[in-house]
Amino acid sequence: MPPYRPEFTAALEIFAQICDAMATRGFTRPVLVGGAAVEFYSMGFITTGDFDLCFPAQDALEEEFQRYGFIRPSGPGRATRGWVHPDLGLGFEIVGDVPLDGTVTRDHIALVEDFENGPPFAIISVEDLIADRMGQYASGTAREMLMQAQTLLRLHPDADMDYLERRVRHETGGDFGADDVRS
Amino acid sequence: MSAAEKTENWPGRRIAFKSFAADLARRRAELGITDADLPRNSGARRTASKKALLKAIKDAGGNW
Repeated sequence: MPPYRPEFTAALEIFAQICDAMATRGFTRPVLVGGAAVEFYSMGFITTGDFDLCFPAQDALEEEFQRYGFIRPSGPGRATRGWVHPDLGLGFEIVGDVPLDGTVTRDHIALVEDFENGPPFAIISVEDLIADRMGQYASGTAREMLMQAQTLLRLHPDADMDYLERRVRHETGGDFGADDVRS
Repeated sequence: MSAAEKTENWPGRRIAFKSFAADLARRRAELGITDADLPRNSGARRTASKKALLKAIKDAGGNW
């Protein structure tokens, strides 16, 4: 049994089922991004229960969330774009139509197969995830992201370094490259 | 066309989960990587929507 947290694995199973439902309806699969993607690629305890997704047909995906028992909190101080499952203590938020404002092409989205005998799900590539961390680091407001990026690269030495160089340069406005991620 | 059939034409990388997870666990162990190497987000950039979502998760009993 892989050493992911059970609650993380359970959340991914639900995400995979929702992905499959969307694909069956003729949509592309939602793409997992953000901290949950870091946890997937690192086995670290990163997420705090909120899973960020990218998907262009928000209304259709929100229909599916409701079918799976998710609700959207409302009321003073509770307004959110996210959806929460009241029994599972798990939330999803659609943070964009496509990953990283459209700079990631479909051929750089990964498909995770054979996951807990369930359907496959889509996830941002480790290279784009590292570039995203570096972009946040370069902004000066998230210094911890450099260590996340460096650790991800150490864990994935087979990363496409040419692609990573391009993507880190783009996300950091040219200030950093792939060599800056190597620790 | 079923969802399973559509994945045959997936244009990107495919990750076989079981071998991926086994390789990742082994590499973590070899490198001695711990959660100290993976700091959680500081939260400084959280939007109001994200803060509300995290509170709702906590209120729902989410233990992350």
